[in-house]
Amino acid sequence: MNNLLEQFLSEARDFLQGIAEKLMQLENDPNSTELMVELFRFVHTLKGNSGLFDFPEMTRVLHASEDLMDAVRNGRVSYSQTLADQLLEAMDFVSALMDEIELTGKTGSNHVGTSTELTNALRALLNAPNAVHVPVAIETYTEDGLAVKAISWSELPPMDLPESTAMGLHRCAIDGETVLWLQYTPEPECFFKGEDPFFLIRQIPDVAWRHIILNNTASTLAEMDVFSSQLVFQLLTIASAEELDDLLRYVPDQIHRVKVPALAFVKPSGNSDDVGLDEDFIINILEFFDNDEIETLTNTINTMLELSSPDLWSSSALRWVLHLIETEPDNKPVQRTLLEALRTQKTPDWSALTLPDVEPTRNVVASPVVSINTSEVSDTLLVYFHEVIDAQKEILSLPATSGGAWSAGRLKAVGATLIGCYRAVQRANEVEHIEAALQLALTENSPTPLLIWLDNSLLDTHEPVLVEEHEEHIVVNHLAAQTDAKSNRRSEEIGGANIVAASKTLKVDQDKIDRLMNLIGEMVVAKNALPYLANRAETVFGVRELSREIKAQYAVINRVAEEMQDTIMQVRMMPVSFIFQRFPRMVRDISRKLGKEVELVLEGEATEADKNIIEALSDPLIHIVRNSLDHGLEMPEARLAAGKFATGKLLIRASQESDRVLIEIIDDGKGIDPDVIKQKAYEKGLIDESTLERISDQDAVNLVFAAGFSTADVISDLSGRGVGMDVVRSAVEKVNGTVGIESERGKGTRLFLSLPLSMAVTNVMIIESNTQIFGVPMDMVVETVRVPRAHIRTIKQKQTTVLRGRIVPLLSLNDLLAKSEPQLPNEDDEFATLIVRVHGEHVGILVDDFRETVDIILKPMTGILGGLPGYSGAALLGDGSVLMVLNPRELI
Amino acid sequence: MAIEYKKSQAVFNDFIGVEEAEALLEWLQKNPKGKVNFAECTHIHASSLQVLIAIKPPIAAEPNDADLAVWLKIALK
Amino acid sequence: MKHILVIDDAATVRLYHRNILETAGYSVDEAINGIEALEKALVTSYDLYIVDVNMPKLDGYGFLKEFRRQEDVLQSPAIMVTTEAGNQDKILGYASGANLYMTKPTKPNQLLSYVRLLLGEVA
Repeated sequence: MNNLLEQFLSEARDFLQGIAEKLMQLENDPNSTELMVELFRFVHTLKGNSGLFDFPEMTRVLHASEDLMDAVRNGRVSYSQTLADQLLEAMDFVSALMDEIELTGKTGSNHVGTSTELTNALRALLNAPNAVHVPVAIETYTEDGLAVKAISWSELPPMDLPESTAMGLHRCAIDGETVLWLQYTPEPECFFKGEDPFFLIRQIPDVAWRHIILNNTASTLAEMDVFSSQLVFQLLTIASAEELDDLLRYVPDQIHRVKVPALAFVKPSGNSDDVGLDEDFIINILEFFDNDEIETLTNTINTMLELSSPDLWSSSALRWVLHLIETEPDNKPVQRTLLEALRTQKTPDWSALTLPDVEPTRNVVASPVVSINTSEVSDTLLVYFHEVIDAQKEILSLPATSGGAWSAGRLKAVGATLIGCYRAVQRANEVEHIEAALQLALTENSPTPLLIWLDNSLLDTHEPVLVEEHEEHIVVNHLAAQTDAKSNRRSEEIGGANIVAASKTLKVDQDKIDRLMNLIGEMVVAKNALPYLANRAETVFGVRELSREIKAQYAVINRVAEEMQDTIMQVRMMPVSFIFQRFPRMVRDISRKLGKEVELVLEGEATEADKNIIEALSDPLIHIVRNSLDHGLEMPEARLAAGKFATGKLLIRASQESDRVLIEIIDDGKGIDPDVIKQKAYEKGLIDESTLERISDQDAVNLVFAAGFSTADVISDLSGRGVGMDVVRSAVEKVNGTVGIESERGKGTRLFLSLPLSMAVTNVMIIESNTQIFGVPMDMVVETVRVPRAHIRTIKQKQTTVLRGRIVPLLSLNDLLAKSEPQLPNEDDEFATLIVRVHGEHVGILVDDFRETVDIILKPMTGILGGLPGYSGAALLGDGSVLMVLNPRELI
Repeated sequence: MAIEYKKSQAVFNDFIGVEEAEALLEWLQKNPKGKVNFAECTHIHASSLQVLIAIKPPIAAEPNDADLAVWLKIALK
Repeated sequence: MKHILVIDDAATVRLYHRNILETAGYSVDEAINGIEALEKALVTSYDLYIVDVNMPKLDGYGFLKEFRRQEDVLQSPAIMVTTEAGNQDKILGYASGANLYMTKPTKPNQLLSYVRLLLGEVA
């Protein structure tokens, strides 16, 4: 055990002792502020200490305790016996962890549950109803006039800027414009002073991003005090400081400004791709980068961009790399860091930029942006250098009143810091200038001379070296061109519209796509009217010639309509990765919660299907995955005992099979025991005794889909609140999908869903029964046959017939619809029979007659009709009549 | 009148001042399905704005004023 | 050898910083609160101060304000080290006389880079 850990343990024991003592003393003196402050400090320090080590469970509990004690200390939560008990319990847990650390040097992973419970309990006390609500982002001020709540740009709330806007702002910042994050918290009583904060905020020019927060403290609308301002405005602007000062001169104490550096905007966004970019690709581009083959690099990136979905995080990152190469060609560290980030698909933490082992000797081409002899100074150090210099600027810019009697000392310290920094980056020649500026500052008792020196010095370093080498008139032209370009860009880029030209992708509102699809649907229906018309031309008006011409036209329109339909389907197609991407996280969370080890493999994420199908697939899939984790995969010990790897494997695979998407969820868990299923089903009355004896294993496994079946003895909170796989089946069937299961005891389970690629247009067969017409979805119809009356046999009071050596039960549609009329046979005494597949079995439905098949737009029935079982919807036919479409699954 | 209250719509005209907020809150509470029409509106005082943010009523028409439209879109989304 | 004063009430944090700094070749002194830090700083001219915020008796702000008002001592740079919860204290730290601000737990490489810069050491 190292000395640091030893120290930690011995000090922590003292703190735990101290905490227990203070809590006891508080019991006798519950209002003692002094005790509470001390108690807070103990917990606070203990948490700080534990943060030095990798004991996440301990730190988490201590963090929650600290927050709670902070609230108690500030009077937001009142001290109570419950609170003390909870805190003591938390400390006992910490103490137990320390015993374990002392013995083993680490904490086991089996404490996650307890630590989460304790944390939640502590947090619950923090949010207890007697806790006073303190709105966020309200600033308070000390006597010095200083904002107590000040934050640096790295702590700004996330802004979710569109990429084009972020790039525009980044360019502005690179070009030397100041991008400010501004927060305006009007005082509550400002309306009474005749102020209109919204009017004021609207006067701020060049706003690139905005956000409004309502800190409504009233519990009901009726209690809302409309004349007390509860608004907080946040925005990003590139307006000049003078403009802002002038606009906001009456409310300076309600404004919070943070200068946002260019780097802060470099934040790729998009879906993370589970596979990520190929490691070879990353190695390749890094090699190009390191060899300074920038053209090859950009070409490679462009090719990759053409091949990848633009919505991926990695695509966004690659676009950023291109953007950085264009705007900051010499800022190699940042470019390289971003390229490296392609591996993790996480935005680098720019605020603590630590570059991966960039060799200091690597001879970077002398950067024109920072005119420091870079060959001797590492890039990392330069980043830190600028951070320290920025901090000194911030210190020097503090209001003069805040210095008090120690302002001279503060100036000297800033001077010492600056001298140190410039020495460290080998610019010792600046030291005498800094000393001169410091002397002047001390004489004038003002930070201004140092600030001026800093501004000039930084200006120097930003001045492109190139400019100095040219003759004067060129310089002027160059600068003029720069200014022009800048102002043009500024107006264009803030709107974020300039990127469009480069991209061939068009973003379209989904409503418009839906509208277009509906229109095409109507068009498909309307074109169906033409055959009727042709018929009438011939039969009613007797003009066969016209009839033929209409039919010819119909063929043309039909072809165009079908192509239109296909195209719009393509537009609506979405990759299944849309739902797959949530699984890694979900599987990780759930398996941790269950204490299982699971390796998740996703395949075929690029497989596409209609948006509606993808969306309908989401819930059933989640349910199935949860089931697999919960019931399928075993605990590591059980797996090892069964001779398997401790880590279970869960494979989710999507593939396309002709016009359907196939999704498989395969685990190598314990599988389903048919005997257990049989017994359960029997106990629940789902099957009778005779079935119990002769049911096949596969059929038994299929029983998990039966309504009211749930194998778990205890309903866990994971596999859903007692709902079984029947919910999954009905959800899948709703979009004309099917679901199946195969399982082998001890080996694993395979669940498969098959769904149509699209559901917009349905092909139905029209049938006639009892003088009415109905539609039946073609994908359910296996075949149509005419069964002679003589071939119908009655077995056990049920009508059946033998079809290709198989007994097929027959049902009459009139019976199914509760009509008493018998079905009508044709002249040869044969019954028109639809053979449909229902839950894997063939069933014959007797009807009066078959008619043609048509494409329809199936609209689900709503209102009272919506509750009608046996129908999947209704559609408009070409002649204007309504066709009711049957759902054989529900009918039978 | 700056805000006209119709049967199912509150129509905002021109410049909405501070005095409108209370009546607006009342109307929106009584007409939970009432829509707001900003077409002719150029500005809304912060007091009414916070009422709108608190309730987020359905919007019948967005303002013709482009800048106001952007703000309202952010505030009422 | 450069001389650094580490001020923190937590012995573990002091040792943590001592380990980092001594490994890098600095000489380290410790103080357990603002009062003790002042006593030491007024006698010895340290080259750098690493200051915790929350301490009994006299906290980090108090120490810095008191130290910076001394006219005839060497006003060396100071790095303020606070926990995440103390983020809002950054400006107060700067106003009191800190030159840099770091969050606990400090990253050794980052800390050493800052220390080298503030001490003016060429890498």
